[in-house]
Amino acid sequence: MPDTSSRIARPRLIEIIAALATGGLLTLMVLSNSMMAAHTTPLFSSLTAHGVGSVVAGIALWGVWLLRRGQAEPIAKRHIPLWAYLGGISGALTVIITSSTANSALALTGTLALGLAGQVVLALIFDVFGAMGIERRLPRKNDLIALAAIIAGTILIIFARGAS
Amino acid sequence: MALIILLAFGAGMLITLSRQINGRLAIETSALQSSFWNHLVGFAALAIVTMVAGSFWPEGAGGAPWFAWIGGIMGVAFVGLGSWLIPRLGAAMTGALLVAGQMLTGVVLDLARGQNTIIWMQIGGVILILLGVFISRKK
Repeated sequence: MPDTSSRIARPRLIEIIAALATGGLLTLMVLSNSMMAAHTTPLFSSLTAHGVGSVVAGIALWGVWLLRRGQAEPIAKRHIPLWAYLGGISGALTVIITSSTANSALALTGTLALGLAGQVVLALIFDVFGAMGIERRLPRKNDLIALAAIIAGTILIIFARGAS
Repeated sequence: MALIILLAFGAGMLITLSRQINGRLAIETSALQSSFWNHLVGFAALAIVTMVAGSFWPEGAGGAPWFAWIGGIMGVAFVGLGSWLIPRLGAAMTGALLVAGQMLTGVVLDLARGQNTIIWMQIGGVILILLGVFISRKK
């Protein structure tokens, strides 16, 4: 039986670099998607992004399948519940909500700042209690300090843009 | 206003929820499969909304530059990598480091494009974020 009680570990360097690079990719993705939204609508922008993404991921999966053909099937893991396939609904809903709040009195700045708060609060709850079948993980003291510094820095940057 | 604040807060929570669900699927299958299902299911959901409220080919779609069409390609890598990170870093550190990377590159982009922002706040933000990333590595 693996240790499912909790896991307290320092992030590895490769994981931090991967996360930062992935965040950088998000900057480019937002740039592309908001360019489409400016030409059309936020809904169409998200629809095409998901459509293009489905095709690209589908082709990539097909490629992986071709490469691995003939190899032994991996040992079956846990039963996969239906909801595990539905993460995309939550993501789609986010687009609809934020495109309406960004045009409200909150503006983009308020939408981003509040969205960041919502993200972090739920993430901490998920980590502390364990959620969706991912092992619980109590944040270390340094994790919390790092979190606070990153959030404070992000809020500064968001408001630097909003105020100009 | 209270409702709008709640909605914006809730939208952030949905991002975390989506990442957690995709992370679970990635544990059982692979990061690429989780990204594929995320995009396909999201596309289906948005197609239903479009049928009710929007147009499948709004004015201006034809005039959009090529760069506006490739967000989805980056999305595949973004969701896949996020699903890979969640079980390793936990939800909070994954979210924080993604935002950190987004902000650092965002500031660089702002500077490169000569965007008019308040520079001392930007620099202060970058210093705080770098400090946070550094501290996350400490024992």
